[in-house]
Amino acid sequence: MAVTRMRSPRSLSALTLGSIGVLVLAGCTVGGANNDEEAGASVLSVAASAAVTTWDPVRSFSTEALYLGNVYEPLIWKNAAGADEEFRPGIAESWESSEDGLTWTFTIREGATFHDGESVDAEAVKSSIEAAKDHAGASFIWAPLESIEAPDETTVVMHLAYSAPMDLVAASTYGAWIVSPKALEASADDESYFEQGIDAGTGPYSVKSYTPGEKVVLEAYDEYWNDSAAPSYDIVDISITPDAVTAQQMLTAGEVDLATNLPLENVDTVAADLDATVKTTNSPFNFLAFFNTAKAPLDDPKVRQALSLAIPYDDIIDVGGAGYGTQSRGPVPKGIFPYSDDVPQYSQDLEQAKALLEEAGHADGLDLTLSFSSENSAEARFVPLIKDAFAKIGVNLEVRAELFNQQWENGKADPATAQDIFVLYYWPTYSDAGADNLYSLFHSSEEPFFNLSYWNNPEYDELIDEAGTLTGSDRDAAQAKYEEAMNLLVDQAPAAFLYDAQAVSVVPKGIEVADFNENYPFTTFFAPIKPAN
Amino acid sequence: MLRFLASRLGTAVLVLFVLTIVVFVLARIIPTDPAVVYAGPKAPPEELARIREKLGFDQPLILQYFQYLGGLVTGDWGNSLATKRPVLDEFATRLPATLELLFAAMSIAIVVGIGLGVIAAKRPGKTLDGVIRFLAIGGVSMPAFWLGLLLQVLFVGQLKLLPATGQFSNEVDYVSPITAVTGFPLFDSLITGNWVAYSDGLAHLVLPAITLAAYPMGLIARMTRASMLEVLGQDYVFTANAYGLRDGLIRWKLALKNALPPTMTIIGLAAAYALTGTFFIEVVFNWPGIGQFAANAMIAVDYPAIMAITLLGAAGYLIANFVVDLVQARLDPRVRLS
Repeated sequence: MAVTRMRSPRSLSALTLGSIGVLVLAGCTVGGANNDEEAGASVLSVAASAAVTTWDPVRSFSTEALYLGNVYEPLIWKNAAGADEEFRPGIAESWESSEDGLTWTFTIREGATFHDGESVDAEAVKSSIEAAKDHAGASFIWAPLESIEAPDETTVVMHLAYSAPMDLVAASTYGAWIVSPKALEASADDESYFEQGIDAGTGPYSVKSYTPGEKVVLEAYDEYWNDSAAPSYDIVDISITPDAVTAQQMLTAGEVDLATNLPLENVDTVAADLDATVKTTNSPFNFLAFFNTAKAPLDDPKVRQALSLAIPYDDIIDVGGAGYGTQSRGPVPKGIFPYSDDVPQYSQDLEQAKALLEEAGHADGLDLTLSFSSENSAEARFVPLIKDAFAKIGVNLEVRAELFNQQWENGKADPATAQDIFVLYYWPTYSDAGADNLYSLFHSSEEPFFNLSYWNNPEYDELIDEAGTLTGSDRDAAQAKYEEAMNLLVDQAPAAFLYDAQAVSVVPKGIEVADFNENYPFTTFFAPIKPAN
Repeated sequence: MLRFLASRLGTAVLVLFVLTIVVFVLARIIPTDPAVVYAGPKAPPEELARIREKLGFDQPLILQYFQYLGGLVTGDWGNSLATKRPVLDEFATRLPATLELLFAAMSIAIVVGIGLGVIAAKRPGKTLDGVIRFLAIGGVSMPAFWLGLLLQVLFVGQLKLLPATGQFSNEVDYVSPITAVTGFPLFDSLITGNWVAYSDGLAHLVLPAITLAAYPMGLIARMTRASMLEVLGQDYVFTANAYGLRDGLIRWKLALKNALPPTMTIIGLAAAYALTGTFFIEVVFNWPGIGQFAANAMIAVDYPAIMAITLLGAAGYLIANFVVDLVQARLDPRVRLS
């Protein structure tokens, strides 16, 4: 797509990738865009896999985060791992918490406006958060919030029922966007108010048009409060392209400047074709395989450890992730709190695995079933490697490919008749994998939801519960507790922790991008993208 | 004629009714939770319960079915679980693109298929016949998505002659936007004299239309060849030759007319088959039609969408067969519509 005029160059802040973890930026060919209505407007053309399941910023809980992250802003943003500061201001200029972590005060910036013309103030923030707590897709992130008040136009005070990391919550990609109160009122009367592509955010872009299933066009918001992060491109024209191979064709044919979803195995080829460089960073996505601890033989930790020792981790990364991944250290993705390099890993040792199986009384081998999500191409590629490796220690694995919804329903049914091994692709809802991954995946529960190993370990539960209450007031102490819990997880092996997927960017010459921010899954931030000098 | 119409309509309604039962049951016995499709897998149990209640998934299945059936009659086909929009709105948005592709593909398939069939029948067993039979078998047997990718590699990657994907270039929206008249974008660009959009749309149409045409073209060519060989052996052709009529006149007019009825039957079935063939082709070419919507609906187990797509497909088959019957009666006076 042609670009005729760039907006004034701005600073670069972040570039994020979607679930498959690949973002490719191709040359933004300059010249040729004649624009009837917007003469001289610069256009960035994008192929994105992200579907829009809703335009409602409160209810949003899916891949539309790609678009909403450019249109809305939270109170604060979480920076990518390794940045000087953990957070940066959004709608809030500054924030502080009481020592006990029970009171959080946010100072709202003056001068920001919503795209519908309303002013941003403390009351608007209050009503957004109240709406999120009431009916957001991710409303549970606000569970600690007991009350919220707006004592003046620029101050919002949150009172919590128990200590919680409201900085992490307020920076969430789901359930934390600040929305115009006028639109919130309209959507209270009509739940489908937003669905035609109406937006009511404060972000650098607004929604210009939306053709369902086909196209989203974003337009730079001229009144955006943050001059230093204003977009370089006037228009971002996004073709919704679910198929990765099609996106690759569009990119290499020069039909788009950028693609958010490419086949991982073709990244090197595409990069070579476009004379581009490949960048890899952390992503929030990882793969794990739950062992069914509710029935024999996987109720025996020795068997689970043996299987964990039989898995060919390096091969799985090479085949499943085309080499773009790192072996997991527990269920917390690299770069997300409370990840730790000190958590131990298993490495493939078939002799030791066999010995453990013998010790557990299974010298004659085992028959097990494994389910995986058929629409996940990485899982489809690496699961046969697990089957082959298990065969070498006498474990016969029956593999079932099921649509994820079907796999999950079967997994949540009676554990006594459920699969033995459940392969899951997961990411935290917000940047607290202690409250999400460690709690949701392994804390005991009456009915299985995402704890699909059906594991029930009081010692683990206690550690997680303690750490959860410490995160808001003493993050170092919480980290220590979480690490203890992760060590226990690896030792007891209710799951095998396969690999953390990496985000991959193919960046051609002539384009400047920042590193992917693993705190915002599915989101590609367009404002920082600009032509290289 | 009226009796024929009433009989056909009655059969069609019965078929569609039975189909609603079969598809509804099939869609709902798959162990998936529609509320999860609606809200996403990470929605908490309370939210899922709220959605089940809101959308009526907590009602007995039989009640849900009758509610669905009632909705079908009154024009409320339900909302897509994935996009949250009414399924009929989704169709209204996407169907024109699919129909334009289907029309182009069937036009190519009919003209080229019949042409190749007639040419092949001229000297059966010779080189040209062999080449045409090879093309016809290739068209029928080569998976459409594979052919689409090959064409993209050749015409886009190597020759750089045609665009790879989409119905129009993004630039069209800015340079020369299409004014909607009928809702069929390529047709609208033609009747409004928007040559920039029309030529761009035609260029985008070539590869997906050829890909979609390959299967029906092969089928039509084979059937036409076989029918022509049979007809060309008949006495009246021999007589026409004896009278010294031109070879072209005999083949393309006298013989072809009598060879067409079996081909017409195939064309009807092939057109309906091509409608479902768009599922693959629209994904490969990122064509904004119902095929892509259908592919996504099936992966997501979006059952209101799946049901509507199935009903549409079935209606497509019924309509195609009905049209074939009418055309056959026109072509062959021995066929009576009763």
